[in-house]
Amino acid sequence: MRATGKPRRPGSRTSLHKDTPAPPFVRVLVANRGEIALRIIRACRDLQMESVAVYSDADASAAHVRAADDAVRLGPAPPAESYLRMDAIVRAAQETGSDAIHPGYGFLAERAAFARMVEGAGIAFVGPSSGVIAALGDKLAARRAALAAEVPVVPGTLEPAALQPDRIDGLLREAASIGFPLLVKAAAGGGGRGMRRVERAEDLPSALAAAEAEATSAFGDGAVYLEREIRPARHIEVQLLGDRYGKVVAIGERDCSIQRRHQKLIEESPAPGLTRDERLTVHDLAVRAARSVGLTNAATAEFLYTGKGRFYFLEVNARLQVEHGITELVTGLDLVAEQFRLAAGRPLSEAAVRAAENAATSIGHAIEVRLSAEDPSGDFVPAPGRVGRWRMPAGPGIRVDTAAEAGDRVPPDYDPLLAKVMAHGADRSTALARLIRALDEVEVTGIQTTLPFHRAALRHPCFHAGDVSTDWVADRWDGPAERRRWQPLAELAAALAAIETPPGAPQSVSTTPEKGSGRAAEPRGWRRTALEAGVERWPR
Amino acid sequence: MASVSSATAAGPVRVSSLGAAPGEGRVIGPVEGQLRLVGPGLGVLRIAPGSAEVAVLMAALDPPVAAPPRSRAAVGVEVVVEGWRFELEVEDAARASLRDRASRERGGKGHGGATELRAIIPGRIVAVAVAPGDNVVPGQQLLVIEAMKMQNELRAPRAGVIARVIVGPGQTVDLGDLLVEIG
Repeated sequence: MRATGKPRRPGSRTSLHKDTPAPPFVRVLVANRGEIALRIIRACRDLQMESVAVYSDADASAAHVRAADDAVRLGPAPPAESYLRMDAIVRAAQETGSDAIHPGYGFLAERAAFARMVEGAGIAFVGPSSGVIAALGDKLAARRAALAAEVPVVPGTLEPAALQPDRIDGLLREAASIGFPLLVKAAAGGGGRGMRRVERAEDLPSALAAAEAEATSAFGDGAVYLEREIRPARHIEVQLLGDRYGKVVAIGERDCSIQRRHQKLIEESPAPGLTRDERLTVHDLAVRAARSVGLTNAATAEFLYTGKGRFYFLEVNARLQVEHGITELVTGLDLVAEQFRLAAGRPLSEAAVRAAENAATSIGHAIEVRLSAEDPSGDFVPAPGRVGRWRMPAGPGIRVDTAAEAGDRVPPDYDPLLAKVMAHGADRSTALARLIRALDEVEVTGIQTTLPFHRAALRHPCFHAGDVSTDWVADRWDGPAERRRWQPLAELAAALAAIETPPGAPQSVSTTPEKGSGRAAEPRGWRRTALEAGVERWPR
Repeated sequence: MASVSSATAAGPVRVSSLGAAPGEGRVIGPVEGQLRLVGPGLGVLRIAPGSAEVAVLMAALDPPVAAPPRSRAAVGVEVVVEGWRFELEVEDAARASLRDRASRERGGKGHGGATELRAIIPGRIVAVAVAPGDNVVPGQQLLVIEAMKMQNELRAPRAGVIARVIVGPGQTVDLGDLLVEIG
């Protein structure tokens, strides 16, 4: 099963200076794929640790496999046969002599059974302990713990809403008291998977069944619960770090309000428009919720914010978050490196403590867009395929975390995230201007991405004003209309390209209609068509 | 743009989305504008002298991914403008309308119009809710495709009797694969 891998770099673990602290671990197995696997491998290299990649057949030549010092095949493409195979991953760690496993996000990151298996094998799990994951990763248990710590939670059930014939009446009564519309959520869930919105009582049983099926498929656990849908609201989350000596700190917050199907599209830090007191309040609520379960390592507490200092606890994600990079840009911390040091039993670093002290008065601003293989004109449905051209932006204040490359097949088996494009600046308007510029540099062909959405959203006056909510996409994004605006130009380009054009030669193409040809429709001038379609803004 | 061959004569052309129904698409003529090629697959489009320029990315669609070309004379082009991706077919307008007429005449006494439902995303079939001979009503769930961990339900676009079910649970399907036929 083991790939030949690349030869170990001689002396790759030798410290650059004799003052450099010893690496937290010798060799780290990265139990993930895509951009986050690459991100973690980079941190390993920065800390003078070796890395071991794992891969499915769909990823045999992926960037993360090539970047690691060694690589182990897990199985065929479906996650259940590869990246979710706990025993195979632990065995791979043992066979490669890895002393730590970093799960990234998704897949096994919040599976308490996996963390327990890793701990049992005498390998360090880079994340909260299995006990904490069980308490936080189970969203229902987390809601109970938060309530016990006097952190306000979103109204809803505190026990699983199992779809059993004898419980239907009780569930309907509970649902009625929560109020419609409500959300059916997976207890083991996250990222909108296993989630259903229910507007009427009669739709509840089918929504429960669908959510259970999706949750079982995605997480291997079909338990679901009910929660009131709070709208409009902003989604605000707090980055947490904790060491084994009982110290838990908040490293600032992020606003992730711009979502679609409960999947985040744009994130920024700090959250725009919050007062210092509000920021201190939400940081304190997050630390309280985390402390109540004895959080260690890194996690993120998520809240809904309805204004005037009112925050409702949603859940704690007991793992590294997709959008951790913007917190890194604002604080200067390397959160993955912090995770490794904490997992090795070291106390919170001085830098982390300092960042926590300044968390409510942070200087600088960072914004991230998630470039995904999704169609923003078709309700953001996944649009897998083969990447043709792939050009990512660069320049002042820009960070791009990606593992995608030209010619890659984007498999339908995994998350559609292709790249996280982040911009950092001294203030929000600088970061925003840089991100808009960066997105104008992006060139992707072969697959539809969310790029048009991001370009339009970042230019929207409401976004500039910091006026964001979880309803933003539904209220302000008309994907089909946006796409239609550009169709005439695309058709003209196709027509010009198809008509005889000597390759490479800059030349004007102009043709006149043939006389008397039996045409199906009256041709029209292209300038008029384009102008009538409302094409006013030109990228260059 | 050496990769995009030219199979159409200069003259009015019809541009249609790849896989569109016969007869759909728009006739463009005269084709006015300037397309300056500044690199492989990268063009700069100007709709009129002196107007602003738009960057367009282009690639030949060969072979087209979703459906066979309707005609050998059609050129498949992928165009990306402002992040939006279009799969287009360009062909001579006169030839296109001739072909439409021919297919209309053929279709007059042809088959009874079965509806073929094809995969709009690649993925894995996780459930099939119907069998051949079943009566279905519009909106009824036919099957569920899981792609990127999201379950996508395929529903009947119209009432009818299931003529064929081509796929089964666990099967992997590609974009455009035939799934179910409603008679």
